[in-house]
Amino acid sequence: MAKDHRAGSKVRGDKLPAILMASHLLEGDTVFLGDSGWTMDPTAAKIAHDAETAAVMEAEGKAAAAANTVIDPYLVPVDLTDHGLPVARHFRDAMRQKGPSIHPDMGKQAEFTPLD
Amino acid sequence: MTLITEAGAVEDRFTRADTIEAALAVEGPVLIPLAIADEFATARPDTEFGVSLPGSAPIEDVKPHLAKASLVAVEFPAFADGRGFSLVKKIVREGFSGTLRASGPLIADEFADALACGFTEVELPETMANRQPVQQWMAAKDTMSEHYQSGYGRGPSILQKRLAARKGA
Amino acid sequence: MYRYDEFDERFVRERVAQFRGQVERRLDGSLSEDEFKPLRLKNGLYLQLHAYMLRIAVPYGTLNSRQLRMLAHIAETYDKGYGHFTTRQNLQFNWPKLKDVPDILGLLADVEMHCIQTSGNCIRNVTSDQFAGVAKDEVEDPRPTAELIRQWSSLHPEFVWLPRKFKIAVTGAEHDRAAIKVHDIGLKLKRNDQGEVGYEVIVGGGLGRTPMIGKVVREFLPKDELLAYLEAVMRVYNSEGRRDNKFKARVKILVHETGEEEFRARVEEEYAKLDGPTINAPEEEVERIAAYFAAPTYEDLPETSQVLEQARAIDPELDRFVAQNSFEHKQPGYIALTIALKEIGAVPGDMSADQMRAFADIAEKYSFDEFRVTHSQNLVLPHVRKDDLPAVHAALKAAGLASANAGLITDIIACPGLDYCALATAKSIPIAQAIAKTFADQERQKAIGELPIKISGCINACGHHHVGAIGILGLEKGGRENYQITVGGDATEHASLGERLGPGIDAEDVPAAIEAIVETYLAEKTGEESFIETVRRTGAEPFKAGFAAFIESRTAQHEAAE
Ligand code: HEM
Ligand code: SF4
Repeated sequence: MAKDHRAGSKVRGDKLPAILMASHLLEGDTVFLGDSGWTMDPTAAKIAHDAETAAVMEAEGKAAAAANTVIDPYLVPVDLTDHGLPVARHFRDAMRQKGPSIHPDMGKQAEFTPLD
Repeated sequence: MTLITEAGAVEDRFTRADTIEAALAVEGPVLIPLAIADEFATARPDTEFGVSLPGSAPIEDVKPHLAKASLVAVEFPAFADGRGFSLVKKIVREGFSGTLRASGPLIADEFADALACGFTEVELPETMANRQPVQQWMAAKDTMSEHYQSGYGRGPSILQKRLAARKGA
Repeated sequence: MYRYDEFDERFVRERVAQFRGQVERRLDGSLSEDEFKPLRLKNGLYLQLHAYMLRIAVPYGTLNSRQLRMLAHIAETYDKGYGHFTTRQNLQFNWPKLKDVPDILGLLADVEMHCIQTSGNCIRNVTSDQFAGVAKDEVEDPRPTAELIRQWSSLHPEFVWLPRKFKIAVTGAEHDRAAIKVHDIGLKLKRNDQGEVGYEVIVGGGLGRTPMIGKVVREFLPKDELLAYLEAVMRVYNSEGRRDNKFKARVKILVHETGEEEFRARVEEEYAKLDGPTINAPEEEVERIAAYFAAPTYEDLPETSQVLEQARAIDPELDRFVAQNSFEHKQPGYIALTIALKEIGAVPGDMSADQMRAFADIAEKYSFDEFRVTHSQNLVLPHVRKDDLPAVHAALKAAGLASANAGLITDIIACPGLDYCALATAKSIPIAQAIAKTFADQERQKAIGELPIKISGCINACGHHHVGAIGILGLEKGGRENYQITVGGDATEHASLGERLGPGIDAEDVPAAIEAIVETYLAEKTGEESFIETVRRTGAEPFKAGFAAFIESRTAQHEAAE
């Protein structure tokens, strides 16, 4: 089957800290695992600083996919801003956190407080 | 395994056997790989049997067995592997009139396609049948009532119906 | 234009209900994501970076005002107020929600539209010449053939689970505007020595990872044998196309690996076994379809329009627009007009809901209620009276649709790239915007002349970069976006693939690199040669040299800056 979606992005070096990103099945929006369930707000993403937390989050993602809530959950390595907000290290994941660069009026960047 | 025909779930009359020894030990109709069909037919000329083969099998390999076998089971490695649909068309073209079985993890949504190409039944692994029970297969096969392609399915195609309507008018 | 009869109508309605059921079964877990994905793709529904994307079929690129108004309505109700025309004459919405898609499909059915097989491993939406029925060099209108194939390929029981996607294009003209040599099957209507109409059949072209020019498998196929012959080709491909590696699964690889001769022999062997008359469309049906594409009732007009000549003489903007964007019509007194969705700095192919409504009005009033979508992500008003051109231009201008750059260096094709696409390795649209801004000056564009630039954001080549006179491919290199540049690609009857000029470059450097390439062209060109003609004559060498000099000066600048 042809893939129309590529889940992870290749990031070199450290995989932590990380957040968990996915697509919402019914809405299609990019969502992040937050402290309590999934959120559309990139600033509310839960941050894993250690491998154990990352593994628990990943398992939570898999369970949500199995429960037909989200699609393609994957861990996204991030850098933290001065305010402690997670910014994806790969430009592709960063695009998902923000929205299209050509339409600043659309996507997360239009709906939520910017990450940086 | 669950066996589904156009009319609903049915009992499988055939017992699968992968080796000649196992096949000879079976009581009643047996379903065997193509490779041992000759040997079996020679040993048990009067026993009803079916042959199982992958969707990638060339029709030339299948042809010699069509006169003796009463069932041909085309194995689908995955639901999205459509080779079996072309193979069954070729088998039908050879004049085979026995049972044509699509076997593998097919989905209900392709039941209509399977029937339209010439299959008469689908054999599902239990895991699939649990997730997509027979009712879903019955509903799925009737979602589209018309088809454009002449030479497929039971009734006339849309193109043929248009022609008939014009001639009748 | 084709209109649905009761059968077509019921077909799309039932298809909508079927998809509604499939969505429900996905949500309750009857269908896994792996199973649902091909089903939604066959209804044009992708999952991209930010949201789902819905690809709507515009069969052979023909639409009317009622349909466009519905698209505007959908854009406003279910999306973010715009749509995107693609290189395969489709329209995409970038923000639909899965829960709304069945309703959207229902609205599309209201105006005789659908999303059937706009994606997935099946026979895709059939494309054609945007000047079908208009061009002077046409043997026969390709649209009836395309419509027949649309019907025949819709939910074809045997060919909906192919090894890979399958694209068919049809042209009826000498000059190929449908890129038939880079499609899985390309059909060209032609006459044989006896004057009978039939098809030249080309198989195995394609772009993507392994670009290839198609091979002629049948010099002349009698017109009434089309469907049976297509069935033979499809059956050979479905049975023998590779399924072990999706990058090698297209028919172009099968033709290549089997060999042209052997592939032809297999098709002919299968064809000989078919019972043609039971498969082919009855003649009456072919005629029934063709009747929908009869020419509209043109007025008898003189070839030149005094009204237009006078208006052009006093309005340089109109003059430039007409000179650049019009295409000769076979009917005296009419022209076909290209509407370039390429305002400088805009997103190539995007159209707002307001523009859709304004354009629908224009098409209804001035072009027999019909317009076309081109594979350059532009639109065409196929039958405009020359007398009406000043008024049409004014109306287009009011809607921001009067870009006078059709075919010029700023008329760039770009795939969605990393701004939307989940497969992208680099951005594509911002590169197009930056190049367009660099060459914004109208006089400069005119001096450069015809120069199709095509940009893809990954190796899949949705932006057709291999066949761009200048092609740009965005890749990821060392965690950064990196762009490879080719010259000499061509999608017409002279089909050829572009040649790479040198190493990849950064996004910021692309506009200046294009300027360097253009300088080489202007220095090398003789007489009235277009860019592609110059490249064909000189080969890529002078361009490579110019590009190398550019890279060198860039590196020197970077070093000086550090
Ligand atoms: C945004 C989501 C899109 C995705 C995920 C996507 C996916 C793909 C993939 C995977 C291929 C390679 C197929 C192969 O080589 O077997 C491809 C090729 C292609 N796509 Fe797209 N595409 C997208 C959008 C578009 C758009 C917007 C256009 C038109 C502007 C387009 C037109 C094409 C064309 C013309 C090809 C080349 C066909 C060929 O290989 O001959 N696609 N696409
Ligand atoms: S070329 Fe690549 S990036 Fe561009 S639309 Fe196609 S798949 Fe996406």
